[in-house]
Amino acid sequence: MKLNRESKIQIGVLLLPGLLVFGIFTFYPIVRLFWMSFFKWDFGSFLNQDFIGLENYRTVLSDRNFMTAFANTLVYTIITVPAQMILGLLVAILVNAVSRFKIGFRVAYYLPVITSWVIASLIFRYVFNTEGLLNYFLTNVIHVTSQNIHWLDSRWGGMAVAMLLGIWKGIGWNMVVFLAALQTVPLELYESASLDGAGGWQKFVHVTLPGIKGTVLFALVMLTIGGFNVYTSTKLITDGKPGHDTEVVLTWMYYKAFSNGKFGYSAALSFIIAFVLAILAVVQFKLMQNKE
Amino acid sequence: MRISRQKVMQLLIYVLLIAGIAVVVLPMIYMISTSLKPNGALYEYPPRFFPKLKEITGENYRYILSQKKFIGNFVNSLLVSTITVFASAIVSSALAFCIARFRFPGRNFLFVFIILTMIIPGTTMIVPQYELAVKLHTINSIWGLIPFYVAWVIPYSTFMIKGFVENVPRELDEATYMDGGNVFTVYFHVALPLIQPGIASVSIFNFLTAWEEFPWANTVINDDLKRTLPIAISGFFGQHQFTQWGYVFALSVLSLIPILVVFISCQRFFIQGLTAGSVKG
Repeated sequence: MKLNRESKIQIGVLLLPGLLVFGIFTFYPIVRLFWMSFFKWDFGSFLNQDFIGLENYRTVLSDRNFMTAFANTLVYTIITVPAQMILGLLVAILVNAVSRFKIGFRVAYYLPVITSWVIASLIFRYVFNTEGLLNYFLTNVIHVTSQNIHWLDSRWGGMAVAMLLGIWKGIGWNMVVFLAALQTVPLELYESASLDGAGGWQKFVHVTLPGIKGTVLFALVMLTIGGFNVYTSTKLITDGKPGHDTEVVLTWMYYKAFSNGKFGYSAALSFIIAFVLAILAVVQFKLMQNKE
Repeated sequence: MRISRQKVMQLLIYVLLIAGIAVVVLPMIYMISTSLKPNGALYEYPPRFFPKLKEITGENYRYILSQKKFIGNFVNSLLVSTITVFASAIVSSALAFCIARFRFPGRNFLFVFIILTMIIPGTTMIVPQYELAVKLHTINSIWGLIPFYVAWVIPYSTFMIKGFVENVPRELDEATYMDGGNVFTVYFHVALPLIQPGIASVSIFNFLTAWEEFPWANTVINDDLKRTLPIAISGFFGQHQFTQWGYVFALSVLSLIPILVVFISCQRFFIQGLTAGSVKG
């Protein structure tokens, strides 16, 4: 279709607000961030920054605290992503199999997803408090330990609580996504598998899983991004303590920028994370394609 | 009498699902029950899952509702979320419509860039965005939140709505052009009415995003009266020697009500939107 002048102007008018908002508040900050990452940019050099090339990137990658934060984020992602997917898929299969109350189950399992991160984090912090409900239950009700456990005072204790929260909050999203995918698997495939004498597990492996492959990939990519996005839960549950042991990449980035004033460092850190995520997304796509 | 294997299986599934729900909603029940306990009782030993019947009190809610600042925080959150939802619906649907229907210079670059920004965590941009907010004099104002939230949700919204636009038959556009319609007529009278479910589904998601956003609001707003709810809730920490958990959870419960209303009334669209993206992918 050939566009006349009037159409071109009207298209421009429709595009303009979006381009302006996106350009000013997303595109410009990203370019600015990239720029900042090559300069010595901190509280002390607000007006006058020196170009230092890749120095910030070098500092980030040789920083032990960053490595701890990176390892924590990686462990968080490696544990919470498969756990959410497996539990979400399990719930989806169960909900799919019942004949009544489907919507009721769906809504109930979705409740943690719509509970805000701030609220969910505070609930978990309260329950896992040293004087909290869980310790009381463990020591005085079922007597598995005689001493209150200091969940939030150790690296892996604090991380475990954050991960548990991540899994709890993520099941509902996975359930909804997989529930939709299950509807797209043709029933005839299950019937012919039954005729071939396949049991429940075999049907799951040979019919269900191949049928929902696209959705598994979609969920994997989205959740991996989500895993690297973790911020509010660790910030509010442990605030990186003890020391900086339970810091994740984003809380560490934030700390360096707003508590230490190392803006150049934080900018470089942001790009390293974006780079890692882009590579992970590509690798996941490739892996899934090869399985075909 | 023989009970069929099928029936036993069904029963087992129901039991499993209900047991699962119990675990999933336990933390939320505990939140509600704590918000109904007298505040002083929270440091008493032993902690109780449910308050004693005669202990149940609305004092935490009374306190929260009597404080002008919390009412203000609630209004701020409502304003920020509602304006974000409407602004991003207009902006993203127009972007999605143009990308789906027309070739214009930079179209591919724009679309690829939109996808790329979905990969980068929003929080990583916080330093240059803060610098920008300072330059624009929007620190400590809801106008330091809204445009950033709109920019934040544009990629996902545009991406999703574009899928809905592509499902509108092109013949409808062409018929309108034949009748003397122009780009605006097609956008407002053909596309918009037909992509409403798509806009509704991303709008629920956008409302939730703006309603619960924490790191950015916590950075930009430090005036008690200008805060949104998540900042007000987390603000109970560090103020006093002891955290007033009763107040924390009363305010939390109150802040969940609008989300529940939006979610339950629009549940159908929400699921539609989520699944449209995932099954295609």
